[in-house]
Amino acid sequence: MPTRTQVTRTTAATLAALLALTAAGCSSKAKDSGKDGDKPSAGGIKTGQGVTDKTIKLGVLTDMTGVYASLGKSVTQAQQLYAKQINADGGICGRKVELVVRDHGYDPQKAVSGYTELSPQVLGFAQFIGSPFVAAVKQRVDGQDKGLVIPQAWSASLLGSPYIRVIGNTYDVETINAVDFLMKEKGLKKGDKLGHVYFEGDYGENALAGAKYAAGEAGLTVVEQKIKPTDNDMTAQVASLKKAGVKGVVISAGPRQAASFVGVAAAVKLQAPIIGNNSAFSPQLLATQAGPALTKNYYVASPTQPIGTDSPAAKKLVADYRAAYPSDALDNGVVAGWTAASVFGEALKKACAAKDLTREGVDKALLTIDAYDSGFGTTHDFTDPKAPSSRQTVVLRPDKKATGGMKVVREAEVSQAAESFTVGG
Amino acid sequence: MSEPIKRLRRPALWTAGAVLLLALPFYLDRFWLQAGLFAMAAAIGAIGLNLLTGATGQLSMGHAFFLAVGAYGYCVLAGDSTATLTGLNLPSWLAAVLAVALAGVAGGLFSPIAGRLQGAYLGIATLALIFIGQHVLFNAHDLTGGFNGRDVPPLSLFGVTFDESELLVAAVPFGSAEKLWYVALLALAGCALFARGVLRGRPGRAMNAIRDHRIAAGVMGVPVARYRAGVFVLSSMYAGLAGVLLALVFQRTVPEYFGMILSLEYLAMIVIGGLGSVAGAVVGAVFVSLLPQLLTRYSDALPLVSAPGTGGVAPGEASRYLYGAAVVAVVLFLPGGLVRPALRRKTTTPGE
Repeated sequence: MPTRTQVTRTTAATLAALLALTAAGCSSKAKDSGKDGDKPSAGGIKTGQGVTDKTIKLGVLTDMTGVYASLGKSVTQAQQLYAKQINADGGICGRKVELVVRDHGYDPQKAVSGYTELSPQVLGFAQFIGSPFVAAVKQRVDGQDKGLVIPQAWSASLLGSPYIRVIGNTYDVETINAVDFLMKEKGLKKGDKLGHVYFEGDYGENALAGAKYAAGEAGLTVVEQKIKPTDNDMTAQVASLKKAGVKGVVISAGPRQAASFVGVAAAVKLQAPIIGNNSAFSPQLLATQAGPALTKNYYVASPTQPIGTDSPAAKKLVADYRAAYPSDALDNGVVAGWTAASVFGEALKKACAAKDLTREGVDKALLTIDAYDSGFGTTHDFTDPKAPSSRQTVVLRPDKKATGGMKVVREAEVSQAAESFTVGG
Repeated sequence: MSEPIKRLRRPALWTAGAVLLLALPFYLDRFWLQAGLFAMAAAIGAIGLNLLTGATGQLSMGHAFFLAVGAYGYCVLAGDSTATLTGLNLPSWLAAVLAVALAGVAGGLFSPIAGRLQGAYLGIATLALIFIGQHVLFNAHDLTGGFNGRDVPPLSLFGVTFDESELLVAAVPFGSAEKLWYVALLALAGCALFARGVLRGRPGRAMNAIRDHRIAAGVMGVPVARYRAGVFVLSSMYAGLAGVLLALVFQRTVPEYFGMILSLEYLAMIVIGGLGSVAGAVVGAVFVSLLPQLLTRYSDALPLVSAPGTGGVAPGEASRYLYGAAVVAVVLFLPGGLVRPALRRKTTTPGE
């Protein structure tokens, strides 16, 4: 039961709150002139948000519980491995690299909140899964935050920002190179029909733009089959492409769709060669019923060499990753995560050499990297924000015996059409 | 308790609360303000759904569709026309009003169905709206921007633009979150008062009568079909306003968001908070929209949760378990919702 003292207390609280409001000038958010801004610190190096004398904080916005859970896990673990190794070597600029991980579960609200939470406290983002979410914060990245963001998505719609940098070929370029492979090595020729099975959404539609361009250049006709990510049975698509008489097929969908398509195609004797984008394969497929068909007639276009490549960098990564995460599968997410982290690391090292570890310094440092090789077959050029860092595509094929389930059939190459293509145009 | 003190106490509490809410943008950082904005937008949507489901007993699974109509309606009406996108370039305040009206019109178009169906049947019928809505959002490229959505033009009101441009108020820099806070607060207060008025007046009693006994309500002279259709339109307009606010906070509309999960979340809000009351909707909305964010943010400090990528339960998973457990606990132990124990103590009747 309220007494007079209680009422007095409430009134007092109200008054206190009112006073607090008028005293807002003392809020920690208030701007003290001269307090803000980049400051020189240990070793005469300019630092800003996310960097102290001891640590460099990088944000990771990943998906470990949503639709891209398996990709997110591989990418994040590879990046944590990178941070661990670089810290064991003394870190960058004498500072330890620390990853701050937030799992958004492919939920827009959580992704945007994660960005809002992390952006004041990190130097940049070594990983951001989900191109719609990257697009959602693009205004803030370009307008005020200006920190480097490396998305784990390869859609051309992400290009153009000096701060959001796509690593490796975009889906359209990859598809052009894939069509080039079918023409040069798999007997597809002028006048033929090319089937294209693609996801609704920017991945598939970006790939379709590439397929149409490649077809226009080479005199092919594209037969489109648009599917949803929830469609798992490709029988109808195979039937209608067979009826249309296609001589080659590109799949811009997920691993399940690719497995279904290749399996059904083998069963109904659709003889056309089939190639998928890098997201249309996972090593787990080889253990399924579609396994034999996949090893026989399926190819995968990829921005990098597979994890099982016969190179010192790849072998070391495989050994280290196995030691750190013995129970987890080795897939191309590991390569993608490692490459992204090492590109960020490279930019940090350059920024350190220029004694400027601010966001601006890192952005500038990245723009000077014109031939970076992460050890997986492709070289990256970051000098032009409007272009993907590489137009090279490696063609792989599934192989049960190889580590990660894939081996190279054509080394990194840029087709003529991909060279002349204006990305995102 | 003595009357004058009781009369003094409520306004004092309300003033304290209001002052606190008004002062928050001066102190909280952007993460919390944004979380609060999401909660306020959700609260407006939940009030609307509570009018429909809680007070009138009409189950709607299509709430997310009307949120989308509001959000995208605002973008199309206020946005610029570009090579790939259509926009009408109206003043943004007008666009916001029209977007709410548009959501009402969408609800009105559905009202022949909403007026005739009840309970689970209406739930199934409204489910169709979600699927149609998702299909349109993904494929009407020149209106919605397709998969990647489209940018949301900032709101402009009385010469103040609610964008990222900094405005110094008492030495505190005001960005979009700080400025929008007051818009959202005002909108929420208006919506809550209006809904309270509706619920306490004749329409509210008619709505409750329809929920409790449709035939009896009809016999007493309540035009059942007209009321059902009307409350559906009103609830759509609330959803439309929530959609406009959400779009302004997100700064980009993404079709992925307006799916069935969102509709279910709104239903969870009103069930957790308390069916049929404005306070219940607000409390439920705050609970449901803040809980996952809190869990994700403080996952490091929680027991049994490990950092993502180190194996074990990831914060995202943990937040889902806890969220699910919270829903079950509320339904089991507080069947009237979070606001009900307080109410029950006051209204206990001898028969209970």
